[in-house]
Amino acid sequence: MAIMRSRFYKKGDMVFISHLDLIRIFERATRRADIPIDYTQGFNPHPIMAFATALGVGVASEGEYIDMQLSNNMDNELFMKKLNNVLPDGLKIIKSKIITDNAKSLMSIIRSSTYLVKLRTKKLLSETDMKQHIDNLLDRKVIVELKQKKQRRGRKNRKPEFREVNIRPLIKNVEPFLLDEHEVLLKMHLAAGSQGNLKPEVVVDKLCELANLPIEQYETRVKRLGLFINGGNKFLTPLDEEAWNI
Amino acid sequence: MNLEGRKLMGKLQIDNLLYRVEKPARYLGNELNSVHKEINENIIRFAFCFPDIYEIGMSHLGMQILYHLLNKQENVFCERVFAPAIDMEKQMRDNNVPLFALESRQPIRNFDFVGFTLQYELSYTNILNMLSLAGVPIYSGDREEEDPIVIVGGPCAYNCEPIADFIDIAVLGEAEEAILEIMELYSKMKEEGYNRFEFLKRAVLLEGVYVPSFYDVTYNDDGTVKVIIPKYEGVPGTIRKRIVENLDNVFYPEEIIVPYLNIVHDRIMLEIFRGCIRGCRFCQAGFIYRPVREKSFDRLQGLAEKLISNTGYGEISLASLSTSDYSELGKIVKHLMEEYGNKRIGISLPSLRLDSFSLQIIKEIQRVKKTGLTFAPEAGSQRLRDVINKGITESDLIDAVKDVFHSGWNNIKLYFMIGLPTETDEDILEIKELVFRVVDEYYKVPKEQRGKRLNVTVSASTFVPKPFTPFQWEPQSTQEEVCAKQKLLASNIRNKNVTLDYHDPKTSFLEAVFAGGDRKLSKVLEFALGEGCKFDGWMEHFDFDKWMAAFKKANIDPTFYANRRRGYDEILPWDHIDVGVSKQFLIRENENSKQARVTPNCRVNCAGCGINQVFAGGIC
Repeated sequence: MAIMRSRFYKKGDMVFISHLDLIRIFERATRRADIPIDYTQGFNPHPIMAFATALGVGVASEGEYIDMQLSNNMDNELFMKKLNNVLPDGLKIIKSKIITDNAKSLMSIIRSSTYLVKLRTKKLLSETDMKQHIDNLLDRKVIVELKQKKQRRGRKNRKPEFREVNIRPLIKNVEPFLLDEHEVLLKMHLAAGSQGNLKPEVVVDKLCELANLPIEQYETRVKRLGLFINGGNKFLTPLDEEAWNI
Repeated sequence: MNLEGRKLMGKLQIDNLLYRVEKPARYLGNELNSVHKEINENIIRFAFCFPDIYEIGMSHLGMQILYHLLNKQENVFCERVFAPAIDMEKQMRDNNVPLFALESRQPIRNFDFVGFTLQYELSYTNILNMLSLAGVPIYSGDREEEDPIVIVGGPCAYNCEPIADFIDIAVLGEAEEAILEIMELYSKMKEEGYNRFEFLKRAVLLEGVYVPSFYDVTYNDDGTVKVIIPKYEGVPGTIRKRIVENLDNVFYPEEIIVPYLNIVHDRIMLEIFRGCIRGCRFCQAGFIYRPVREKSFDRLQGLAEKLISNTGYGEISLASLSTSDYSELGKIVKHLMEEYGNKRIGISLPSLRLDSFSLQIIKEIQRVKKTGLTFAPEAGSQRLRDVINKGITESDLIDAVKDVFHSGWNNIKLYFMIGLPTETDEDILEIKELVFRVVDEYYKVPKEQRGKRLNVTVSASTFVPKPFTPFQWEPQSTQEEVCAKQKLLASNIRNKNVTLDYHDPKTSFLEAVFAGGDRKLSKVLEFALGEGCKFDGWMEHFDFDKWMAAFKKANIDPTFYANRRRGYDEILPWDHIDVGVSKQFLIRENENSKQARVTPNCRVNCAGCGINQVFAGGIC
């Protein structure tokens, strides 16, 4: 048994594929590429694979990760070649590595993610204004977001319940990247993973709400740049050996 | 389409729309094994439209067959079109985006052919809505030289009279050969000088091609059909369906499109045979797809190998109307398990009968995958099962469930129909008796041997009389009668192990109207479209009041079609269509049903339906 960890990108038309669709694509791809993947036991066997996080529909990514459990060792170059041969345009394995058997799961080690966010403002604004808006956002100690509570089983059709969440601690950084007339590019570094997760769209909503900055509702585009593990004073990626046992 | 039109055709920009709709993967068009061709002025553009959403349409085997068959032709480019979901349609209309083909993202208005498959009557409004969204005139009479030819096929094409005014060509029967003949004719005429009317006049001479506008239909004072006659000399008086004689030689795709989305039937469908030997009297498929023709074991194993390696699917389904009746079922299942079991490829066998051989096979394949089991007794009493010629007895069912409960199954589904001819309240209560006997069988199994918590789902659908069946003359029970019977069953069948599933009979009523309808109904469909009817098969979109408004506006009484007993001497709206099964046979079978007389299946004894006289070679 060996676990192959890979970094892949998801862009182009593939941004419109949901996480569940993505799982199916990888399942079928492993079969077509003849990857010696292990299957779960039981009546409904599935290939054993795990992703770092689920990406929302419409979001592109340069840095997604997947672990696959192989029944025997395989050369990583060959693995990449075989899989990339059958993956659709817009999905591509960039790097693969066999990781140690005792390495922790992807999902448990991810702590943060960086994004590039493009949005379109309705009004023209200056670079200084934009900077000011972002500073005002980051200066706040508390940014309240209403989060819908999960509905308990058997209690359908009830009024949705909300709770207040302070999302400020989940925002590590927001910086302006580019401003071209109505188009604003922002770089964000946000918490991601099982210990706290924040979607960049929420930050955009808050930013615009607090700055009273109307934007084109459907024109916001998000691209994930990478997923990171907090390794003390440096950022590690899931493919860095140091990260495997943090 | 002329050259100018072709040059004007650009690729539509739909990316911005995709960010605004649910499941944008429905509209991408670049799935694995989809075909993309370079477009030049000589290529015939064919839009294969399925009048429902992507997940339904992509589950349809016929589309996969014809799509790949057409695309194997160098001079044809066939693309897919599905009914855009409500949210996408709104975006398209708001942004002036006309209906486009998925692969090229070009408007289908400029295509050579716009084809629709007619799988169920309640999709007719979607066809009209799609034509309107495409910018193609809905009435065939309003189309001009440059407009696409609207061509239909599929089971409802056998009586396509309700939509006859909207279509240019209907292909009756299996289209693998006919569609290529039509393409060839079109291509030839394009070279020699194309003219829409001339093309149709020559197409109508091809076997299986029906051009509704070439026939005049007149009516009696009571609303029944008086006469159906060809308008022009040389146009055939009756149109005979097409069949493919040898299923081993006919085209079958070796790669099928693999969707990104989870569709309804998300697996390889391997067709094992066509036709059905059973002759259940309510079942249209059992008559229109005659005769029985099988694919050989050798052909199937070759196809399975290619399909599995070209798709990566983890499941293969052996498709037919009655899978147990395939003569080499044991052999092919064994082969698939031995060859692909270790690759974790599951086998599913839909439409199984409940004999011990089939159950043995199920038990074997369930070692790979365990699912619920479905049985279809269709009626509660033996008398009524004999009326419909179902050919199963109560002990068949009881023996079968005894077997499966002993094997650990705890989830089974039983299908019944309500409103069958001659049905009484007694018959309804017999459904309850039968279901309770099934439940008893479960409790007879020792606790440690049976699965936990039995669940029997009883599904009771409403009977719809269909053309080309022995019940084509029968009236459908009125909605009040059906509701009363549903209530009777529901109040009697209360049991913690039983879930009863039944639906408002309104959709079944409309289904009956259009299944047995004539050309007068085209007005109703036009008005229904105007009222905003679409996706009528979806309960959340179906609006019966709008339909009633449409009937009223057209001054048509729907009960005339659904609830009236037709006479044997009456000219039926589909009498000019020949499916190979004779009317005399259907009358004989209708009379047999009244006496609850069973007709043995075709392998036991030929019942003389006429199919082997029509198609040379006596192939059944």
